[in-house]
Amino acid sequence: MEKFGLYLGCNIPFKAPDIEQSFRKVFPVLGVDLEDLEGATCCPAWGTAPSFDLDTWCAISSRNITLAEEKNLNLMTGCNSCFGVLSEAKHFIEDDPARKKRVNQSLSEIGRQFKGSTDIYHVSHVLYESVGLEKIKESLVYSLDGLKAAIQPGCHTLWPSDVYHVKEKNPFFPTILKELTQALGAEVPHYSRLEFCCGMGGMRSTDAEKSLKLFTDKLLSMKEEIDPDFIVTTCSSCFLQFDMSQPILKERGVIDFTIPVFYYTQVLALALGFDPAQVAAISQTPRDEVIAEIQSEKRKIQK
Amino acid sequence: MSDYIKLDSDKISEGVKTIMDLGGHGILKCVQCGACSAVCPGVKAGFPVLCRLLIKKVLNGQLEEIIEESSSWGCQACNRCTEICPQGVRPQEVVFAFRRYQANDLAVSTSAMTSQMNLHSYGHAVFTDARELRQKVGLPPEPPTSAYNEKAQKEIQTLLEKGPMGELGIF
Repeated sequence: MEKFGLYLGCNIPFKAPDIEQSFRKVFPVLGVDLEDLEGATCCPAWGTAPSFDLDTWCAISSRNITLAEEKNLNLMTGCNSCFGVLSEAKHFIEDDPARKKRVNQSLSEIGRQFKGSTDIYHVSHVLYESVGLEKIKESLVYSLDGLKAAIQPGCHTLWPSDVYHVKEKNPFFPTILKELTQALGAEVPHYSRLEFCCGMGGMRSTDAEKSLKLFTDKLLSMKEEIDPDFIVTTCSSCFLQFDMSQPILKERGVIDFTIPVFYYTQVLALALGFDPAQVAAISQTPRDEVIAEIQSEKRKIQK
Repeated sequence: MSDYIKLDSDKISEGVKTIMDLGGHGILKCVQCGACSAVCPGVKAGFPVLCRLLIKKVLNGQLEEIIEESSSWGCQACNRCTEICPQGVRPQEVVFAFRRYQANDLAVSTSAMTSQMNLHSYGHAVFTDARELRQKVGLPPEPPTSAYNEKAQKEIQTLLEKGPMGELGIF
Protein backbone atom coordinates (compact mmCIF):
# COMPACT_ATOMS: atom_id res chain seq x y z
CA MET A 1 0.00 0.00 0.00
CA GLU A 2 1.27 3.44 -0.85
CA LYS A 3 1.77 5.61 2.21
CA PHE A 4 1.78 9.36 2.82
CA GLY A 5 2.56 11.55 5.82
CA LEU A 6 -0.71 13.35 6.65
CA TYR A 7 -0.07 17.04 7.23
CA LEU A 8 -3.16 18.59 8.86
CA GLY A 9 -2.47 22.33 9.03
CA CYS A 10 -4.77 24.45 11.25
CA ASN A 11 -8.24 24.94 9.74
CA ILE A 12 -8.97 21.27 9.15
CA PRO A 13 -8.16 19.84 12.64
CA PHE A 14 -9.62 22.81 14.57
CA LYS A 15 -12.48 24.17 12.45
CA ALA A 16 -13.52 21.27 10.23
CA PRO A 17 -12.40 18.02 11.89
CA ASP A 18 -15.09 16.18 9.91
CA ILE A 19 -12.90 16.87 6.85
CA GLU A 20 -9.94 15.31 8.70
CA GLN A 21 -12.13 12.33 9.55
CA SER A 22 -13.14 12.00 5.89
CA PHE A 23 -9.42 11.69 4.94
CA ARG A 24 -8.91 9.02 7.59
CA LYS A 25 -11.92 7.06 6.31
CA VAL A 26 -11.55 7.26 2.52
CA PHE A 27 -7.82 6.81 1.91
CA PRO A 28 -7.34 3.34 3.48
CA VAL A 29 -10.41 2.07 1.56
CA LEU A 30 -8.81 3.35 -1.64
CA GLY A 31 -5.46 1.69 -0.91
CA VAL A 32 -3.52 4.60 0.58
CA ASP A 33 -2.13 4.46 4.12
CA LEU A 34 -1.85 7.67 6.11
CA GLU A 35 0.70 8.23 8.84
CA ASP A 36 0.44 11.16 11.26
CA LEU A 37 3.25 13.71 11.39
CA GLU A 38 3.48 14.16 15.16
CA GLY A 39 4.30 17.68 16.28
CA ALA A 40 3.59 19.35 12.94
CA THR A 41 2.93 23.09 13.22
CA CYS A 42 1.22 25.67 11.02
CA CYS A 43 2.76 25.68 7.53
CA PRO A 44 3.28 28.81 8.42
CA ALA A 45 0.27 30.77 7.11
CA TRP A 46 0.87 33.55 4.55
CA GLY A 47 0.05 36.31 7.05
CA THR A 48 2.62 35.10 9.58
CA ALA A 49 6.31 34.33 8.96
CA PRO A 50 6.08 34.60 5.12
CA SER A 51 5.03 38.25 5.58
CA PHE A 52 7.92 38.97 7.98
CA ASP A 53 11.01 37.04 6.91
CA LEU A 54 11.72 34.62 4.07
CA ASP A 55 14.28 32.54 6.02
CA THR A 56 11.99 32.14 9.05
CA TRP A 57 9.23 30.98 6.68
CA CYS A 58 11.59 28.45 5.09
CA ALA A 59 12.84 27.23 8.49
CA ILE A 60 9.31 26.57 9.83
CA SER A 61 8.11 24.96 6.59
CA SER A 62 11.20 22.79 6.32
CA ARG A 63 10.80 21.66 9.94
CA ASN A 64 7.36 20.37 8.96
CA ILE A 65 8.78 18.69 5.87
CA THR A 66 11.53 16.98 7.91
CA LEU A 67 8.80 15.23 9.94
CA ALA A 68 7.89 13.34 6.75
CA GLU A 69 11.53 12.96 5.68
CA GLU A 70 12.30 11.15 8.93
CA LYS A 71 9.64 8.59 8.02
CA ASN A 72 10.81 8.36 4.39
CA LEU A 73 7.39 9.47 3.27
CA ASN A 74 6.01 12.02 0.87
CA LEU A 75 3.74 14.56 2.49
CA MET A 76 0.05 15.05 1.72
CA THR A 77 -2.05 18.00 2.83
CA GLY A 78 -5.71 18.84 2.31
CA CYS A 79 -5.28 22.57 2.80
CA ASN A 80 -4.50 24.53 -0.37
CA SER A 81 -2.67 27.26 1.54
CA CYS A 82 -0.45 24.74 3.33
CA PHE A 83 0.23 23.10 -0.02
CA GLY A 84 1.29 26.42 -1.54
CA VAL A 85 3.35 27.54 1.46
CA LEU A 86 5.23 24.25 1.86
CA SER A 87 5.82 23.82 -1.89
CA GLU A 88 7.12 27.34 -2.31
CA ALA A 89 9.35 27.13 0.75
CA LYS A 90 10.86 23.91 -0.59
CA HIS A 91 11.41 25.66 -3.93
CA PHE A 92 13.06 28.69 -2.27
CA ILE A 93 15.39 26.44 -0.26
CA GLU A 94 16.40 24.21 -3.16
CA ASP A 95 16.79 27.15 -5.52
CA ASP A 96 19.40 28.85 -3.31
CA PRO A 97 22.26 26.83 -1.74
CA ALA A 98 23.12 29.72 0.61
CA ARG A 99 19.55 29.77 1.91
CA LYS A 100 19.59 25.99 2.36
CA LYS A 101 22.71 26.38 4.47
CA ARG A 102 21.14 29.10 6.62
CA VAL A 103 17.91 27.12 7.05
CA ASN A 104 19.81 24.02 8.09
CA GLN A 105 21.81 26.11 10.55
CA SER A 106 18.54 27.17 12.19
CA LEU A 107 17.20 23.63 12.11
CA SER A 108 20.38 22.28 13.71
CA GLU A 109 19.47 24.26 16.85
CA ILE A 110 16.41 22.06 17.23
CA GLY A 111 18.24 18.90 16.19
CA ARG A 112 16.85 18.66 12.66
CA GLN A 113 18.13 18.72 9.10
CA PHE A 114 16.33 19.39 5.82
CA LYS A 115 17.42 17.05 3.04
CA GLY A 116 14.81 17.67 0.37
CA SER A 117 13.87 14.02 -0.06
CA THR A 118 10.14 14.50 0.60
CA ASP A 119 7.75 15.72 -2.09
CA ILE A 120 4.66 17.77 -1.29
CA TYR A 121 1.27 16.58 -2.56
CA HIS A 122 -2.28 17.80 -2.19
CA VAL A 123 -5.16 15.44 -1.35
CA SER A 124 -6.59 16.02 -4.84
CA HIS A 125 -3.27 15.00 -6.42
CA VAL A 126 -3.08 11.75 -4.45
CA LEU A 127 -6.68 10.92 -5.37
CA TYR A 128 -6.12 11.76 -9.03
CA GLU A 129 -2.65 10.28 -9.57
CA SER A 130 -2.06 7.59 -6.94
CA VAL A 131 -5.61 6.30 -6.47
CA GLY A 132 -7.00 7.09 -9.90
CA LEU A 133 -10.51 7.65 -11.23
CA GLU A 134 -11.17 3.95 -11.94
CA LYS A 135 -10.42 2.86 -8.38
CA ILE A 136 -12.75 5.58 -7.07
CA LYS A 137 -15.54 4.50 -9.46
CA GLU A 138 -15.31 0.82 -8.56
CA SER A 139 -15.31 1.56 -4.78
CA LEU A 140 -18.56 3.57 -4.79
CA VAL A 141 -21.52 2.38 -2.72
CA TYR A 142 -23.85 5.20 -3.80
CA SER A 143 -24.00 6.86 -7.21
CA LEU A 144 -24.38 10.61 -7.56
CA ASP A 145 -25.92 10.14 -10.99
CA GLY A 146 -28.28 13.00 -11.88
CA LEU A 147 -26.94 15.37 -9.21
CA LYS A 148 -25.30 18.59 -10.36
CA ALA A 149 -22.13 19.91 -8.74
CA ALA A 150 -20.34 23.24 -9.00
CA ILE A 151 -16.62 22.83 -8.42
CA GLN A 152 -14.30 25.22 -6.59
CA PRO A 153 -10.64 24.17 -7.05
CA GLY A 154 -9.21 27.14 -5.12
CA CYS A 155 -5.96 28.94 -5.88
CA HIS A 156 -2.88 27.41 -4.32
CA THR A 157 -2.85 24.05 -6.13
CA LEU A 158 -2.90 25.85 -9.47
CA TRP A 159 -0.35 28.66 -9.38
CA PRO A 160 2.63 29.02 -9.68
CA SER A 161 2.66 25.81 -11.71
CA ASP A 162 6.45 25.83 -12.06
CA VAL A 163 6.96 24.80 -8.40
CA TYR A 164 4.35 22.00 -8.29
CA HIS A 165 4.79 18.33 -9.23
CA VAL A 166 1.26 17.70 -10.36
CA LYS A 167 0.19 20.24 -12.94
CA GLU A 168 -3.09 21.00 -14.64
CA LYS A 169 -2.82 21.15 -18.45
CA ASN A 170 -4.02 24.75 -18.14
CA PRO A 171 -4.17 26.10 -14.57
CA PHE A 172 -6.63 28.79 -15.66
CA PHE A 173 -8.96 26.00 -16.86
CA PRO A 174 -8.44 23.28 -14.24
CA THR A 175 -9.94 19.81 -14.75
CA ILE A 176 -8.65 17.57 -11.90
CA LEU A 177 -11.50 18.33 -9.48
CA LYS A 178 -14.00 18.16 -12.35
CA GLU A 179 -12.88 14.65 -13.26
CA LEU A 180 -12.80 13.55 -9.61
CA THR A 181 -16.37 14.78 -9.13
CA GLN A 182 -17.57 13.23 -12.39
CA ALA A 183 -16.10 9.92 -11.17
CA LEU A 184 -18.78 9.96 -8.44
CA GLY A 185 -21.46 10.04 -11.14
CA ALA A 186 -22.31 13.73 -10.74
CA GLU A 187 -22.77 16.17 -13.57
CA VAL A 188 -20.20 19.01 -13.44
CA PRO A 189 -21.13 21.82 -15.83
CA HIS A 190 -18.74 24.66 -16.58
CA TYR A 191 -19.45 28.14 -15.22
CA SER A 192 -17.67 31.30 -16.27
CA ARG A 193 -15.98 32.16 -12.94
CA LEU A 194 -14.67 28.63 -12.33
CA GLU A 195 -11.08 29.62 -11.53
CA PHE A 196 -11.97 32.82 -9.65
CA CYS A 197 -10.88 33.41 -6.06
CA CYS A 198 -13.53 32.95 -3.32
CA GLY A 199 -12.22 35.89 -1.29
CA MET A 200 -11.09 33.94 1.79
CA GLY A 201 -7.55 34.27 3.13
CA GLY A 202 -5.72 37.48 3.91
CA MET A 203 -8.36 39.47 2.09
CA ARG A 204 -11.13 38.37 4.44
CA SER A 205 -9.28 39.37 7.60
CA THR A 206 -8.13 42.65 6.00
CA ASP A 207 -11.51 43.77 4.65
CA ALA A 208 -14.48 41.42 5.07
CA GLU A 209 -16.76 43.51 2.85
CA LYS A 210 -14.39 43.44 -0.13
CA SER A 211 -13.99 39.70 0.40
CA LEU A 212 -17.76 39.18 0.51
CA LYS A 213 -18.23 41.15 -2.70
CA LEU A 214 -15.80 38.86 -4.53
CA PHE A 215 -17.53 35.85 -2.98
CA THR A 216 -21.00 37.08 -4.01
CA ASP A 217 -19.92 37.44 -7.66
CA LYS A 218 -18.61 33.90 -7.66
CA LEU A 219 -21.62 32.40 -5.89
CA LEU A 220 -24.12 34.15 -8.18
CA SER A 221 -22.17 32.96 -11.21
CA MET A 222 -22.61 29.37 -10.00
CA LYS A 223 -26.27 29.83 -9.16
CA GLU A 224 -27.36 31.70 -12.28
CA GLU A 225 -25.33 29.72 -14.80
CA ILE A 226 -25.66 26.13 -13.56
CA ASP A 227 -27.93 26.09 -10.45
CA PRO A 228 -26.03 23.26 -8.72
CA ASP A 229 -27.35 20.81 -6.10
CA PHE A 230 -24.12 21.29 -4.15
CA ILE A 231 -20.64 22.80 -4.29
CA VAL A 232 -17.49 20.68 -4.07
CA THR A 233 -14.09 22.07 -3.22
CA THR A 234 -10.63 20.69 -2.52
CA CYS A 235 -9.60 23.78 -0.54
CA SER A 236 -10.41 23.98 3.18
CA SER A 237 -10.27 27.80 3.11
CA CYS A 238 -12.74 27.94 0.21
CA PHE A 239 -14.91 25.49 2.15
CA LEU A 240 -14.99 27.80 5.18
CA GLN A 241 -15.77 30.86 3.04
CA PHE A 242 -18.65 29.16 1.18
CA ASP A 243 -19.98 27.67 4.42
CA MET A 244 -19.85 30.72 6.68
CA SER A 245 -20.56 33.48 4.16
CA GLN A 246 -23.73 32.14 2.53
CA PRO A 247 -25.77 32.54 5.76
CA ILE A 248 -24.43 36.11 6.09
CA LEU A 249 -25.53 37.02 2.56
CA LYS A 250 -28.92 35.40 3.13
CA GLU A 251 -29.43 37.27 6.39
CA ARG A 252 -28.65 40.53 4.57
CA GLY A 253 -31.10 39.70 1.78
CA VAL A 254 -28.37 39.59 -0.88
CA ILE A 255 -29.36 36.02 -1.78
CA ASP A 256 -32.61 34.10 -1.26
CA PHE A 257 -31.01 30.63 -1.48
CA THR A 258 -28.08 28.69 -0.07
CA ILE A 259 -26.17 25.91 -1.78
CA PRO A 260 -24.81 23.00 0.31
CA VAL A 261 -21.02 22.85 0.29
CA PHE A 262 -18.60 19.96 0.84
CA TYR A 263 -14.90 19.31 0.79
CA TYR A 264 -14.40 16.70 -1.95
CA THR A 265 -13.47 13.84 0.39
CA GLN A 266 -16.67 14.45 2.36
CA VAL A 267 -18.84 13.76 -0.70
CA LEU A 268 -16.56 10.87 -1.57
CA ALA A 269 -16.91 9.45 1.96
CA LEU A 270 -20.70 9.75 1.72
CA ALA A 271 -20.64 7.96 -1.65
CA LEU A 272 -18.49 5.25 -0.06
CA GLY A 273 -21.18 4.80 2.61
CA PHE A 274 -19.51 6.41 5.63
CA ASP A 275 -21.56 7.92 8.47
CA PRO A 276 -22.37 11.60 7.83
CA ALA A 277 -22.23 12.18 11.61
CA GLN A 278 -18.47 11.59 11.29
CA VAL A 279 -17.51 12.77 7.81
CA ALA A 280 -19.94 15.63 7.08
CA ALA A 281 -21.20 16.80 10.47
CA ILE A 282 -20.17 20.45 10.81
CA SER A 283 -21.63 23.21 8.67
CA GLN A 284 -23.41 26.54 8.97
CA THR A 285 -24.96 26.26 5.50
CA PRO A 286 -27.56 23.49 5.68
CA ARG A 287 -26.73 20.29 3.80
CA ASP A 288 -28.74 17.52 5.53
CA GLU A 289 -31.17 17.24 2.64
CA VAL A 290 -28.56 16.56 -0.02
CA ILE A 291 -26.69 14.19 2.35
CA ALA A 292 -29.90 12.14 2.74
CA GLU A 293 -30.36 12.23 -1.03
CA ILE A 294 -26.80 11.00 -1.68
CA GLN A 295 -27.21 8.09 0.74
CA SER A 296 -30.77 7.20 -0.34
CA GLU A 297 -31.66 3.56 -1.02
CA LYS A 298 -32.37 4.20 -4.71
CA ARG A 299 -28.77 5.38 -5.26
CA LYS A 300 -27.23 2.14 -3.95
CA ILE A 301 -25.08 0.55 -6.62
CA GLN A 302 -25.95 -3.12 -7.22
CA LYS A 303 -22.77 -5.21 -7.25
CA MET B 1 0.47 70.06 -8.62
CA SER B 2 -0.22 67.77 -5.67
CA ASP B 3 0.13 64.57 -7.77
CA TYR B 4 3.48 65.60 -9.15
CA ILE B 5 6.17 62.96 -8.54
CA LYS B 6 9.72 64.20 -8.29
CA LEU B 7 11.98 61.34 -9.33
CA ASP B 8 15.04 60.91 -7.13
CA SER B 9 17.57 58.34 -8.34
CA ASP B 10 18.91 57.64 -4.84
CA LYS B 11 15.42 56.91 -3.56
CA ILE B 12 14.71 54.68 -6.55
CA SER B 13 17.91 52.64 -6.09
CA GLU B 14 17.36 52.36 -2.36
CA GLY B 15 13.74 51.22 -2.76
CA VAL B 16 14.58 48.68 -5.45
CA LYS B 17 17.46 47.29 -3.37
CA THR B 18 15.25 47.01 -0.28
CA ILE B 19 12.59 45.07 -2.21
CA MET B 20 15.16 42.82 -3.90
CA ASP B 21 16.89 42.06 -0.58
CA LEU B 22 13.55 41.08 0.93
CA GLY B 23 12.77 38.57 -1.86
CA GLY B 24 11.38 40.62 -4.79
CA HIS B 25 14.28 39.68 -7.07
CA GLY B 26 12.43 40.15 -10.36
CA ILE B 27 11.25 43.73 -9.94
CA LEU B 28 13.60 45.24 -12.53
CA LYS B 29 12.29 42.93 -15.25
CA CYS B 30 8.86 44.59 -15.07
CA VAL B 31 7.69 46.35 -18.24
CA GLN B 32 4.44 47.60 -16.64
CA CYS B 33 2.22 45.62 -19.03
CA GLY B 34 -0.37 45.06 -16.30
CA ALA B 35 -1.08 41.37 -17.04
CA CYS B 36 -0.60 40.70 -13.29
CA SER B 37 -3.16 43.27 -12.18
CA ALA B 38 -5.64 42.01 -14.78
CA VAL B 39 -5.78 38.56 -13.12
CA CYS B 40 -5.31 39.72 -9.49
CA PRO B 41 -8.30 39.00 -7.19
CA GLY B 42 -7.00 41.67 -4.80
CA VAL B 43 -7.11 44.37 -7.47
CA LYS B 44 -10.56 43.12 -8.54
CA ALA B 45 -11.79 43.39 -4.93
CA GLY B 46 -10.52 46.94 -4.50
CA PHE B 47 -6.94 46.78 -3.21
CA PRO B 48 -5.32 48.91 -5.92
CA VAL B 49 -1.67 49.04 -4.83
CA LEU B 50 -0.76 45.46 -5.75
CA CYS B 51 1.12 43.95 -8.67
CA ARG B 52 1.71 46.52 -11.45
CA LEU B 53 0.89 49.64 -9.42
CA LEU B 54 2.94 48.55 -6.41
CA ILE B 55 5.92 47.85 -8.67
CA LYS B 56 5.43 51.23 -10.38
CA LYS B 57 5.48 53.05 -7.06
CA VAL B 58 8.67 51.31 -5.98
CA LEU B 59 10.27 52.07 -9.36
CA ASN B 60 9.24 55.71 -8.88
CA GLY B 61 11.14 55.83 -5.59
CA GLN B 62 7.98 56.05 -3.48
CA LEU B 63 8.63 53.04 -1.23
CA GLU B 64 8.91 55.04 1.99
CA GLU B 65 5.77 57.08 1.39
CA ILE B 66 3.58 54.00 0.85
CA ILE B 67 4.70 52.12 3.98
CA GLU B 68 1.21 52.40 5.52
CA GLU B 69 -0.56 51.23 2.32
CA SER B 70 -2.98 48.46 3.28
CA SER B 71 -3.49 46.97 -0.21
CA SER B 72 -0.62 44.51 0.28
CA TRP B 73 -2.57 42.77 3.07
CA GLY B 74 -5.40 42.09 0.60
CA CYS B 75 -3.02 39.90 -1.44
CA GLN B 76 -4.32 36.32 -1.49
CA ALA B 77 -0.88 34.88 -2.26
CA CYS B 78 -2.57 33.04 -5.14
CA ASN B 79 0.28 33.57 -7.61
CA ARG B 80 -1.97 34.14 -10.62
CA CYS B 81 0.37 37.11 -11.27
CA THR B 82 3.46 34.89 -11.22
CA GLU B 83 1.85 32.47 -13.67
CA ILE B 84 0.72 35.13 -16.15
CA CYS B 85 3.75 37.46 -16.07
CA PRO B 86 5.52 37.33 -19.47
CA GLN B 87 8.72 38.79 -18.00
CA GLY B 88 9.36 36.42 -15.09
CA VAL B 89 8.96 39.17 -12.48
CA ARG B 90 7.09 36.91 -10.02
CA PRO B 91 5.01 39.88 -8.77
CA GLN B 92 3.75 38.02 -5.69
CA GLU B 93 7.32 37.90 -4.42
CA VAL B 94 7.49 41.69 -4.83
CA VAL B 95 4.22 42.05 -2.89
CA PHE B 96 5.55 39.82 -0.11
CA ALA B 97 8.88 41.67 -0.07
CA PHE B 98 6.85 44.87 0.39
CA ARG B 99 4.86 43.23 3.22
CA ARG B 100 8.18 42.33 4.89
CA TYR B 101 9.33 45.93 4.52
CA GLN B 102 6.10 47.03 6.22
CA ALA B 103 6.12 44.30 8.86
CA ASN B 104 9.71 45.03 9.88
CA ASP B 105 8.50 48.52 10.74
CA LEU B 106 5.43 46.99 12.42
CA ALA B 107 3.21 48.68 9.81
CA VAL B 108 0.68 45.85 10.14
CA SER B 109 -2.81 45.79 11.59
CA THR B 110 -3.08 44.93 15.27
CA SER B 111 -5.49 42.10 14.40
CA ALA B 112 -2.66 40.39 12.50
CA MET B 113 -0.75 40.09 15.79
CA THR B 114 -3.14 37.45 17.17
CA SER B 115 -2.00 34.94 14.53
CA GLN B 116 1.67 35.66 15.34
CA MET B 117 0.99 35.04 19.04
CA ASN B 118 -0.97 31.86 18.30
CA LEU B 119 1.81 30.61 16.04
CA HIS B 120 4.33 31.23 18.80
CA SER B 121 2.26 29.72 21.64
CA TYR B 122 0.65 26.70 19.97
CA GLY B 123 2.48 26.37 16.66
CA HIS B 124 -0.82 27.18 14.93
CA ALA B 125 -1.77 30.58 13.48
CA VAL B 126 -5.39 29.45 13.72
CA PHE B 127 -6.13 27.78 17.03
CA THR B 128 -9.31 27.05 18.94
CA ASP B 129 -10.13 24.45 21.54
CA ALA B 130 -11.81 21.93 19.23
CA ARG B 131 -11.60 18.91 21.54
CA GLU B 132 -15.36 18.53 21.88
CA LEU B 133 -15.98 19.03 18.16
CA ARG B 134 -13.31 16.47 17.29
CA GLN B 135 -14.76 13.89 19.65
CA LYS B 136 -18.20 14.47 18.18
CA VAL B 137 -16.95 13.29 14.77
CA GLY B 138 -15.14 10.31 16.26
CA LEU B 139 -11.59 11.68 16.34
CA PRO B 140 -9.19 11.75 19.30
CA PRO B 141 -9.82 15.09 21.09
CA GLU B 142 -6.25 16.28 20.60
CA PRO B 143 -4.83 16.33 17.06
CA PRO B 144 -1.30 14.91 16.64
CA THR B 145 0.09 18.39 15.95
CA SER B 146 2.11 20.88 18.00
CA ALA B 147 -1.09 22.13 19.70
CA TYR B 148 -0.71 19.64 22.55
CA ASN B 149 2.98 18.83 22.11
CA GLU B 150 5.36 20.80 24.33
CA LYS B 151 8.52 19.68 22.53
CA ALA B 152 7.14 20.81 19.17
CA GLN B 153 6.11 24.16 20.69
CA LYS B 154 9.63 24.69 22.05
CA GLU B 155 11.04 23.96 18.60
CA ILE B 156 8.89 26.50 16.79
CA GLN B 157 9.51 29.07 19.52
CA THR B 158 13.25 28.64 18.99
CA LEU B 159 12.88 29.12 15.22
CA LEU B 160 10.70 32.22 15.65
CA GLU B 161 12.64 33.89 18.43
CA LYS B 162 16.08 33.64 16.85
CA GLY B 163 14.94 35.36 13.62
CA PRO B 164 13.90 38.94 12.82
CA MET B 165 10.41 38.30 14.21
CA GLY B 166 11.95 37.73 17.61
CA GLU B 167 13.99 40.92 17.30
CA LEU B 168 10.78 42.88 16.65
CA GLY B 169 9.66 41.91 20.13
CA ILE B 170 6.21 40.75 19.08
CA PHE B 171 6.19 37.56 21.17
